[in-house]
Amino acid sequence: MTSDTGRTNRFNELAEAYSTDLYRYAMWICGNDALAKDLVQETFLRAWRALDSLNDVAKAKSWLITILRREYARTFERKVPAFTNYEKVSIADDEDLEPDEQTERDLLRQGIFKLDSKYRDPLLLQVVFGHSCAEISAQLGITKSAVMTQLFRAREKLRAQLQKDGVTGNVHELF
Amino acid sequence: MSMNFSEFQKLMGADPLNRDEETLRARRSSPEFEAVAVDAEAFEEKLQGSIRIQAPDDLLSRIMDISQQQVRPRRWMPLALAASLLVFAGAAGLVWKQNQQWDSVEDYVADHFSHDGTKVFAKAAERFPEQDITRILSRLNAGVDEKLATMIKFIKFCPTPDGRGAHMVVQTDQGLMTLIYMPNVQITESSEVNFDQWHASLVNLEHGSVAVIGNQAQRTDEIAVMVRGSLKTGQFDA
Repeated sequence: MTSDTGRTNRFNELAEAYSTDLYRYAMWICGNDALAKDLVQETFLRAWRALDSLNDVAKAKSWLITILRREYARTFERKVPAFTNYEKVSIADDEDLEPDEQTERDLLRQGIFKLDSKYRDPLLLQVVFGHSCAEISAQLGITKSAVMTQLFRAREKLRAQLQKDGVTGNVHELF
Repeated sequence: MSMNFSEFQKLMGADPLNRDEETLRARRSSPEFEAVAVDAEAFEEKLQGSIRIQAPDDLLSRIMDISQQQVRPRRWMPLALAASLLVFAGAAGLVWKQNQQWDSVEDYVADHFSHDGTKVFAKAAERFPEQDITRILSRLNAGVDEKLATMIKFIKFCPTPDGRGAHMVVQTDQGLMTLIYMPNVQITESSEVNFDQWHASLVNLEHGSVAVIGNQAQRTDEIAVMVRGSLKTGQFDA
């Protein structure tokens, strides 16, 4: 196996492992389907060019997320406007949802988009990528305690959104 | 020291899938703790379901193409023209519709550069009268600031979909690039296009549009942003 083939195989393994989750993450942070796809594509283009610098495959996920976050930041430097078209995004329907369940899901999605980025970012890293609080802390450069607080508040806000709309009957104490 | 109820609630709110020993011990300590954990897990299941957006069917294949072609694949951001021209006031829109030579401004840019681009690049190595910059751009009701003026290494008139424009070669910090200024083509959204081994970024200006063309490794979009600020269009006194 030539080194080129090995490099291609490494890259394709990363693409298979992480492209879907990176797209989901990009979609939730930018709110635009086309931009999300471009962000992921650009992320992997940069990853391909810098692949030789990735020495520890265990760090690949964090490495790719970092590239994507930087590319997203550069997008705003170029003043590309972001807008929300989450209604156009198709749902991975591996189950038939009751109308109430679909409504609840739609409300949650609206709530996620409405979250301030300081709550949404750690939440997405945890839910999309399965990051631990320690990993989120390292990725975002904030303390683990701050991560825990932001995650808690993110879920509280989303629960409150559902309660406000009368979807759930649970009374939840807020701190 | 065991976790109190308030601490456990906060933990379940922040990390509902936590399964470390201390958390499991707290969960088993009383029905009230267990109820909080079950509720947190139920909400988490809903959250996961909401976030689990379906990725595009061709996303993976396009990414894998990167390793095969080693070029930037075509972007998803929408192409510029189409509906915008239907509302563009004046003859330019009608002229465009009647002119079937190109299907889109991207087609024009690719076609024009394919015929002319590399030949004009060669001109950049020769000396050219710098007063040509003012002479040509003023005839197009345009001008450049000092920054862009110093970058231009060659300029000439060129045909565009709706009349004359300017074809320029500029020296950037990424190497030579081509600018095609189209005074009468007004795109409404920036777009990117790949053709052969080249890549173009198209952006609108106050009057008209400009295409910045470079090789696949060059960040034409960055230069397009700069040009947008430096190429002055509209009423301009030479």
